[in-house]
Amino acid sequence: MWNGPLEKIDEYRYMIPKTYKGIKGNLKMKVPAVIYANEKMIEAIKKDNAPEQAANVATLPGIVGKSLAMPDIHWGYGFPIGGVAATDANEGVISPGGVGFDINCGVRLVRTNLKMDDINGQIIKNLVDELFKNVPSGVGSKARIRLSMQQINEVLDMGAKWAIENGYGWDEDLEYLEENGHLESADSSLVSDKAKKRGKEQVGSLGAGNHFLEIQRVAEVFDEEAAKVYGIEKDQIVVMIHTGSRGCGHQICTDYLRVLEQATLKYNIQLPDRQLACAPVNSKEGESYLKAMASAANFAWTNRQLIVHWVRQSFENVLHENAHDLGMHIVYDVCHNIAKIEEHVVDGKKMKLVVHRKGATRAFGPSRKEMPLKYRKIGQPVLIPGDMGTASFLLKGTDASEETFGSTCHGAGRVMSRSEAKRRWNGREIAKMLERKGIYAHPASWTVMAEESPDAYKDVGNVVEVTHGAGISTKVAKMVPLGVVKG
Amino acid sequence: MFKIIEHTADIGIEAYGSTIEEAFENAGKGMFFIMTNGGKIESKVVKQIELPFDMDEEQLLVDWLSELLYIHDVDHLVFGEFDVKINKKLIAKAYGEEYNIKKHGYGMEIKAVTYHMLEVKRNKKGYVIRVLFDI
Repeated sequence: MWNGPLEKIDEYRYMIPKTYKGIKGNLKMKVPAVIYANEKMIEAIKKDNAPEQAANVATLPGIVGKSLAMPDIHWGYGFPIGGVAATDANEGVISPGGVGFDINCGVRLVRTNLKMDDINGQIIKNLVDELFKNVPSGVGSKARIRLSMQQINEVLDMGAKWAIENGYGWDEDLEYLEENGHLESADSSLVSDKAKKRGKEQVGSLGAGNHFLEIQRVAEVFDEEAAKVYGIEKDQIVVMIHTGSRGCGHQICTDYLRVLEQATLKYNIQLPDRQLACAPVNSKEGESYLKAMASAANFAWTNRQLIVHWVRQSFENVLHENAHDLGMHIVYDVCHNIAKIEEHVVDGKKMKLVVHRKGATRAFGPSRKEMPLKYRKIGQPVLIPGDMGTASFLLKGTDASEETFGSTCHGAGRVMSRSEAKRRWNGREIAKMLERKGIYAHPASWTVMAEESPDAYKDVGNVVEVTHGAGISTKVAKMVPLGVVKG
Repeated sequence: MFKIIEHTADIGIEAYGSTIEEAFENAGKGMFFIMTNGGKIESKVVKQIELPFDMDEEQLLVDWLSELLYIHDVDHLVFGEFDVKINKKLIAKAYGEEYNIKKHGYGMEIKAVTYHMLEVKRNKKGYVIRVLFDI
């Protein structure tokens, strides 16, 4: 139980004041920390040490504004998961702990022209089984395409553009991905051979754990105007993909934690926790990490792009209709583990910042230009994946999100350990329970079904209510699963 | 010998040994126990591993387990026996076979080895290692 000071700002915001000295009494916070939560949630948040971590982050050199924590905050390595921190790009630091191991873990939403009336249980089952066949999933899922080292370098440097140029997708797809699926700053020469080899084995695969591929039904529309612009309506069938940069990104993080650990000593940076290891953004180590991280982000966008290609093919195979005719356009693609160089206004001054989002999603409002032309009147689509038994959400970014450097929550967060879930439930029973709710699941293993049981997660609906209430992103639609492919 | 430790979103191991080498070997066994769910792993292939000991024992442990994770991802192998020597560097042999979900079972996908609560400690009986994984 965390017992530090918390000042209630309003119904949705709690502040840890700058004067807080930390559990050990020697913390020097440079800025306050703000946690987005309601009264009920804040009690649950205090159960682990995540608020202390939000306070620790506030000590980073060059941090500006506030150290922020989203309502789905929970304990993470160094930075809390659900944490947002912006540092001055000229005088601040960059920290791999503020990004996480699964660099550019993210979510993509694909729409269709299909409505509930066009499908039935058997069609869903056929689609899920076909998806399971075409999209590698599960522990150590292997790539179905064999890339050379030269091609892996191209993937790392080019991102989703590589996939489109090689026939995996439509030209229009790139416009609907955050950063157009490509970070320019990437440099594959700063990525180890190990990371490339792990990437080579796993490119175009879902992986395991909380990653999923779901066929969903739009159950509710809250914001008709925004939904219309995004091409979403009630009872429509959509597909959601949740995965990241696989072993490639994990290896890049592992490699650079070692580098940054030494850099922390070299630049004499005092930290309350070893896992906040960081380096000045302008240092050789900091720049190298940013470029390698951008390469991992590019890998993840390619990964999701290959999966979209096979999703479209699977629908074509089962429904005997062309994916274009089925209207399978990408609504959007967001990353929720990343650090990006962005411009924001701090104390009335425009600044170049490194915005760390670890388990947090960019949620830009209409005043920002970094989104497809079509969406600029409404704001950027924000995709919040739930877990397999419950709902996922489509939100829109708002200009009010400037207070969080254009960021919002990312999902539900576990409330129970995987082993505890396995002890409590049997995977087949969970599949039956889902079936009764009209959800067909095809897991790579029954163990994952138990581990990923809906009851092992916080209710994503509560998380979204807080971001909606606080105004940093607002509800557009709620989707519920019909068919699930689990890693 | 090793013991599985867990927390809401994490899992890790506590491994023991009369020498640091034995503790490292047991840490390797513990990691593959988590990944496979404990199915028997036969020693059909052997991999040679050499790592620099250029920082501290904790970092060497992270490097050791990360190396095994890397070989698992790239060569699709799981290991059940190890022979570790630590001097100015770590030199090891890892014995195992190709991963087979039916034979070895399915545990969890480990993404990475973390520094959280990381410890390589000497006590009266020998060494105790604690390490957590990102899953």
